Amino acid sequence: MSADTSIPTTGGRPGPAGSVIHDLGYRRYDGPRLGRAQIVRALAWHSFRAAFGFGRGAKAKIIPLVALVALCLPAVVNAFAMSKGQPRVVDYDTYTPALRDLVMTVFVAVQAPELVSRDIRSRVLPLYFARPIKTLDYPLAKYLAFTGACLVMLEVPLLLLYGGSIANVHGGAAVWAQTRALIPGLLVGLMWALVLAAISLFLASLTGRRAFATGAVAIFFLLTFTLAEILLQVEGQNSGPQTAAVKGGPGGGPVMVHPLLYGPSMADKVSGLFSPFTLLEGVRMWLGGTNPADNVPAPGAFGVVDALVLVTITGLCLYGLAARYRKARLA
Amino acid sequence: MTVIEIKNVSRWYGNVVAVNDITMDIGPGVTGLLGPNGAGKSTILHMIAGFLAPSRGTLTVHPVLGQPVPTWQNPDIYRSLGLVPERDSVYAFLTGEEFVRSTAKLHKLASTGAATRQALEMTDMAYAADRKISTYSKGMRQRIKVAAALVHDPEILLLDEPFNGMDPRQRIHMMELLSKLGAEGRTILFSSHILEEVERLSGTIQVMVAGRLAASGDFREIRRLMTSRPHVFNVRSSDDRALAALLVGRPYTTAVELTGKGLQVRTSDFGAFCGQIAVLTRDHEIALRELLPTDESLESVFGYLISSQGS
Amino acid sequence: MTPSTGSGTPPAAGPAPGGLATAVIEANALTKVYPGGVTALGGLTVNFAPGVTGLIGANGAGKSTLIKILLGLVEPTSGTAVVLGHDSVTGGEQIRRLVGYMPEHDCLPPDVSATEFVTHMGRMSGLPATAARERAAEALRHVGLHEERYRQIGTYSTGMKQRVKLAQALGGDPRLLLLDEPTNGLDPAGRNAMLELIERIGLEFGISIVVASHLLGEIERICDRLVAIEGGRLLRADTIDSFTRASQTLLIEVEEGLAALHDELVRRGLRPTAYQRSLLVPIGGDGTYDAVRDTVADLGLPLSRMEQRRHQVEELFRDPGAAGSAFADPAREAADVR
Repeated sequence: MSADTSIPTTGGRPGPAGSVIHDLGYRRYDGPRLGRAQIVRALAWHSFRAAFGFGRGAKAKIIPLVALVALCLPAVVNAFAMSKGQPRVVDYDTYTPALRDLVMTVFVAVQAPELVSRDIRSRVLPLYFARPIKTLDYPLAKYLAFTGACLVMLEVPLLLLYGGSIANVHGGAAVWAQTRALIPGLLVGLMWALVLAAISLFLASLTGRRAFATGAVAIFFLLTFTLAEILLQVEGQNSGPQTAAVKGGPGGGPVMVHPLLYGPSMADKVSGLFSPFTLLEGVRMWLGGTNPADNVPAPGAFGVVDALVLVTITGLCLYGLAARYRKARLA
Repeated sequence: MTVIEIKNVSRWYGNVVAVNDITMDIGPGVTGLLGPNGAGKSTILHMIAGFLAPSRGTLTVHPVLGQPVPTWQNPDIYRSLGLVPERDSVYAFLTGEEFVRSTAKLHKLASTGAATRQALEMTDMAYAADRKISTYSKGMRQRIKVAAALVHDPEILLLDEPFNGMDPRQRIHMMELLSKLGAEGRTILFSSHILEEVERLSGTIQVMVAGRLAASGDFREIRRLMTSRPHVFNVRSSDDRALAALLVGRPYTTAVELTGKGLQVRTSDFGAFCGQIAVLTRDHEIALRELLPTDESLESVFGYLISSQGS
Repeated sequence: MTPSTGSGTPPAAGPAPGGLATAVIEANALTKVYPGGVTALGGLTVNFAPGVTGLIGANGAGKSTLIKILLGLVEPTSGTAVVLGHDSVTGGEQIRRLVGYMPEHDCLPPDVSATEFVTHMGRMSGLPATAARERAAEALRHVGLHEERYRQIGTYSTGMKQRVKLAQALGGDPRLLLLDEPTNGLDPAGRNAMLELIERIGLEFGISIVVASHLLGEIERICDRLVAIEGGRLLRADTIDSFTRASQTLLIEVEEGLAALHDELVRRGLRPTAYQRSLLVPIGGDGTYDAVRDTVADLGLPLSRMEQRRHQVEELFRDPGAAGSAFADPAREAADVR
């Protein structure tokens, strides 16, 4: 099974009758060599495709595509409703929180391992690091890719929503109103993508077993969310009777709040720190978002803390991700 | 004198026949069990060690002292038998000494201390016996496994791929140890798929191919038995061309080739060629500088066995 | 054992012969001590010349540490390593552009085809997409993978997987290949094929190769030179020929009548000694050969082997002072590989 380089050649020059044997020997490469930036881009694109199951076969595409379709459903429903004359039923910046929380949890839990755990399991990392890139380039490319993938998941439904709404309103002013509402929604989507990608990639990078990684990511998001919700419920029940009722508590019912405080109690706000989803909600509202959704109380000025915690968590996860590969390079 | 008797043994897993009707006798000294990956060497070793039952046939151990016993479901055989498996089967948190001693205790030896010391000395591991096994190199781990297998002074030692991953110095040490044990009269059976190792160590080989026994005995004698293949010799002399002309005229020569470095002679009659070459060169005053059978290496023999059995 | 042919012709592309060839790897007092006190390398000084060099003896920490340092992935505690003219600490990226690495362990994803994988790795080496695809196809052809390259790697045999590993190292057009135990897990036929392939790459492709192996037979067969490392230091570095130089002993084997031959040789004053199933006779000059030949002919014995014994690389690893050792005092100082 060896290559046929033993065939004698005339060096490519035609013989007397014009016949020639071509030299099929090993050839050097004299062409352009791309730098780190392009290598990172190539790896990011490759990983971005893997996040949707491309390059793997049909089965790997099922979950990401079903998730995307699921997230797009509210937009479709909205378009339908608006075509019947109703106003827009879905907000751009909250979209449908319960659905989005759930579907994004599933998406990152299943797909983050596809990007990082697979490579750990197959022990292919030394081949990457033996190439002209810096250690940081690998996690960087993965983060860029996965943020991009999450962006697709989050923004495509919003764009669909926008498109469906535009189709059903008339007049430049109405279109402009829709556009103005869309922009913050897209920004919220970006925020979500950056945070979720960081956390899920970091958690997934801790193990080569995809099942464990998926479990770890899913459990993390579910547990933290449940914890935040529970704390909120507990708080709501613990407030005394000298408080005024304010709407926006768990289950949409009234939460008892001390009248001197505008808005939810400190304890309520603190409970929102325990889950990335509630943190994201808190920052959204702090930045001027629409009504509280998803049972998360508006944080008011406390939103700064939410933002700081969010940035810190994201930063820590990215640092952990980079550190993980620094260690892997030496293994 | 047969120490391990294997008769018509087969072992299958559903449709996969790992060992197919093998009959062999293993005696004292060092025997190499040879074959490509998946040939069934590990399976046979585990059956001899009593860890697997044969699907058919019998394996019997004939210890010097005591009755012949079948290997399956017979804990008595462990008195005379030690196994060094391929996998890393040591408790890394124990020290070497503790590990060997624990095996001694499992064997219910009368004096575990003395037995442990002796086993450690035999395998040259006394110097590291107080360190945790997790600090050992690969070669040291192998040796401590051998020490544990030797602690009860067994007559039979089975080793599954004992040289795996060892560097040359470790390998030489292990070979010397096994040679010594074989010379003491023990029965050493080791498996390998690296011919270099086997060639050095064992006189007798058992070659397995796809679950069947392809050949047994001394590999050079096996080569001689392959009469259908012409033997190939490299010859260098003071006058290669003249020698070539002479050889071509002889009935035992099937081909002569003038390579740049001498002659390559193919002969159909090994015995006749060897018997005549010295006389021929003497009588024609050709100085003989080198005579080498080229395919008498274990590698060639093995290659022939695989290809002929596979065809 | 058939004699080794050892050195081949120098690679076609490379520094001009005559004068000192530039070393492809220069290590100078290379030391690496890990936290915890483990010394993987303790002052290794050695040069690797162009061609095919075997690296032996450095099991465990030493070898993998050396490879990581050479690839610029780990900084030495002290000392320097220069690979293809670039310092390993400051020029790591350039080194990795020029070096192809084939790890010892399994490192292939099971669910992609060889074509896809080698192409992707080519892009990771900085090749543009089209070039990566083309070089991947060529590399797979050179290593001998044909239709199977379109199947998933998980379905491959060990031999095929080793070839894929080699192909990804070739795809980036390296000047130097670092092959770590390339015949690991291969059966004799597969081992043979891989060694032939490596030999061909060294001879025809003009790429310098370092083959790390613990199998001396392999190294004797395909390498021009050998670097032997022990305990993190250089044990010996030299050409294979110098390791396997001829000794002054003639080995004779006869199919029968060994004892009679022994006695007759003694009678003729040749001082034979028994060795396994043959006899060793010290060579006093050309006359020794004729005397042996005549003795065998006179006795009418079947002569099956006569060769001037050669030393073997293995002797380097026998303990000093052991019988037959040609290296009673292994040099511990640095040795340039000439």
